[in-house]
Amino acid sequence: MKKNLSVLFSLLVLASIVLAACGAPVTQAPVATEAATEAATEAATEAATEAPMAYEGLAVEAPNCDYGGEFKSIKAIDEHTVQFELCAPDPALPSKIAFSSFAIEPQEYLDSTGGAGDLLEHPIGTGPYKLETWDHGNQVIFTRYDGYWGEPAHAQTLVFKWSTEAAQRLLELQSGTVDGIDNVGPDDFATVEGDSNLQLITRPALNVMYIGFNNNPKIEGFDNATNPLANEKVRQAIAMGIDRQRIVDNFYPAGSEVADFFTPCAIPNGCVGEKWYGFDAAAAKALLAEAGYPDGFDTVLNYRDVARSYLPDPNIVAQDIQTQLKENLNINAKIEVMESTAFLDAAAAGQLAGIHLLGWGADYPDQTNFLDYHFGATASDQFGDKFEDITAALTKAAQLASDSDRKPYYETADNAIRTHVPVIPVAHGGSAVAFKASVTGAHSSPLGNEVFSVMDNGSDTFVWMQNGEPGSLFCADETDGESLRACEQVTQSLLGYKIGGTEVEPVLAESYEANDDLTVWTFHLREGVTFHDGSTFDANDVVASLSLQWDAANPNHKGRTGDFTYWNALFGAFLNAPK
Amino acid sequence: MAVNTAKLNSGELSLKSVSLWQITMHRLLRRKSAMVGVFILGALIFIAFTAHWLAPYDPTKSMLDIKDYPSEYAKKRLDPCIHALGCPAEQPQHLLGLDGNIRDEFSRLLYGARLSLMVGFATVTFAIIIGTILGAVAGYFGGWIDNIIMRVMDVLLAFPSLLLAIAIVTVLGAGLINALLAIGIVSIPAYARVMRASVLSIREMDYVSATRALGGSNLQILFRRILPNALTPLIVQGTLGIASAILDAAALSFLGLGAQPPTPEWGAMLGAERNQVFTAPHLVFYPGLMIMLTVLCFNLIGDGLRDALDPRLAHVS
Repeated sequence: MKKNLSVLFSLLVLASIVLAACGAPVTQAPVATEAATEAATEAATEAATEAPMAYEGLAVEAPNCDYGGEFKSIKAIDEHTVQFELCAPDPALPSKIAFSSFAIEPQEYLDSTGGAGDLLEHPIGTGPYKLETWDHGNQVIFTRYDGYWGEPAHAQTLVFKWSTEAAQRLLELQSGTVDGIDNVGPDDFATVEGDSNLQLITRPALNVMYIGFNNNPKIEGFDNATNPLANEKVRQAIAMGIDRQRIVDNFYPAGSEVADFFTPCAIPNGCVGEKWYGFDAAAAKALLAEAGYPDGFDTVLNYRDVARSYLPDPNIVAQDIQTQLKENLNINAKIEVMESTAFLDAAAAGQLAGIHLLGWGADYPDQTNFLDYHFGATASDQFGDKFEDITAALTKAAQLASDSDRKPYYETADNAIRTHVPVIPVAHGGSAVAFKASVTGAHSSPLGNEVFSVMDNGSDTFVWMQNGEPGSLFCADETDGESLRACEQVTQSLLGYKIGGTEVEPVLAESYEANDDLTVWTFHLREGVTFHDGSTFDANDVVASLSLQWDAANPNHKGRTGDFTYWNALFGAFLNAPK
Repeated sequence: MAVNTAKLNSGELSLKSVSLWQITMHRLLRRKSAMVGVFILGALIFIAFTAHWLAPYDPTKSMLDIKDYPSEYAKKRLDPCIHALGCPAEQPQHLLGLDGNIRDEFSRLLYGARLSLMVGFATVTFAIIIGTILGAVAGYFGGWIDNIIMRVMDVLLAFPSLLLAIAIVTVLGAGLINALLAIGIVSIPAYARVMRASVLSIREMDYVSATRALGGSNLQILFRRILPNALTPLIVQGTLGIASAILDAAALSFLGLGAQPPTPEWGAMLGAERNQVFTAPHLVFYPGLMIMLTVLCFNLIGDGLRDALDPRLAHVS
């Protein structure tokens, strides 16, 4: 009898262990603090008392705000509610979180890929299109997702092709093999406008093309003591010695303008502070002599041969800058053209010595997207050592809600940029997309995120040709517009931007609210949304997708390069960042 | 090598020495296609040497940087303006228009001839020198030396020459000198093989055996007896090689791996304006035409030389 009782007792213990294991909450890796764990446990306990099948919400929380980032915690309050607690007020949070780098993918899928591998090539989102195949070097094919929560896409199949050549893109459009093309060549605007079979749609110049300098390149063995560009006066001399008006007048299409500030004026507080240096070759030469380089010097001019709305003809512009450097300052700049992705990676890693040409298109209409991304405390090493007066002003401005309160700080930041010259803002480039005249719903986006599901060419297949191939389709770790646009057809963020505009509107979150000091943001998620793999969208997917970027100790914090540049630039330091 | 012909003149027997080169030139001059090649090459050499006099503008200078140049005409990719054909007198004359960087296309085209010929001759000279030494040593000494040298040449030949040149430039870095080096390196095997084949047949000749019997050193035999008599096929190969070297250099520059901006090089000029094939076709057409003419002239001369140097075709001429 005793033996039977002990066997029964053992079985009961075993059964309880098994049940406990099956019912254990699926939580993030142990990155949360004790407080977070306690909070989560409390929440779980509370929920458990209310219903037997309680929702086990994920929560990730920083122990405090000393780590240097903006987020304090990301919590799944319930299945359809997510809450962000911030270390400081961020009035631009909705604009930022709407960006495609912060798209949501299923938690289980993220865990199964480990944050890399399949995730880079096979995104699983909630968008109107799902990925069918990516034929590398040739095309990406998407098919309509029939379970999409919104208006279904017009075309059953969406094809992304690419060509770096503006002439080829136009030829493909004229011959009818594609339905729309990006970045019509500056000399082809008239051709498209004069063709009754085509339609030209201009894109507002919400971008900036700049000449960048790295004052301390992170290159092994590089001797910065002999680097003329580490000298502020040299950079100021170049700023005065480049005739930017000449570049815009001769090499940019209609609708472009000289950049007097880094940020376009259409962005609130974009144009405050002192205007950029006027062109004065004599003063520039004198300043260069004062800096110790009366006879000029040799340097390198790096860029990528990829047309963008901010730089429609890179080779021509680069050669004109090379000519001006020689003519006005006797600086011999050797042109070095790099492959696009390698160039971006090298720029972000601070490994471009000399001068480089790059640009930036708005992701969301806020100063933080321009200034903080490039010059903020947690910006990349693209321009070398940070300038304290710039970072301090930007940090302060980013925490204020009203544009008028932020204005003096942006004035300070713009004036400091003008003094230190980490960049020379050259142009805000006008650009255009073109479609067949028969395409309805055709539009261009000032943010470069055209939505193809609303376009109708009257057939089952819609073909789009852009400038280049995506780097990967995991856009949390991409910065190039060619990748982002492809991702935006498949994945969605909590919020989004109005089609063809910059207004923020609900997407995966139906609504959101913030507390009075803008440090606690609560998002109410849309119900009935499913991912392309059939799984249901819920709050844990949001926590998993965002925390893998935020938390450097998260096992999924991998991506293509592991940089997660946008998170770092927009929300500050990573949690648990390696020392 | 000389051919002695006996001629009876006024009852006296006189000997007139006619060199192989005289015979070759005589045969070459009788080939019309070769003469067309020689004429084009002559014109190109003339242009190359006098480009600084013939060119109306500095090929690297934008019209925007020229003092007193009317700014209303300093427009990128401006169409050609030829006063004799009715272009307004107040507009500066540009026979081939302006390029994307507002530089005179005609001046750049003229200076491009200098660079292309330099590329052709420099790379082939380099390849002939190295290839000849390697081929001669391999053919003369044979054995393991021959095996090693020729297997290395086989490896080089296994790759398409342009692809190999691209790989070499990628390693060395883009630039004209590196492009020349790359094209030179990939051209070596062709000359090494030709030279080896010639040396293999000549080293068995009686006069070589005689020199050896008289105690001539290997170097003496190789460089004073064999090489001078093995040069004929190399000359033909070299002439044709110049054409392909120019073509390869233009291809590398087109891809951005050869001459760097603002150097006026035809391949680079073609590449820079490739997107304007419909909007400004002249900027693509003329550099392409110049490359075609240069390659054509060397091919015509090469074919002519091959026929002229081939004793089996002597009766044809």
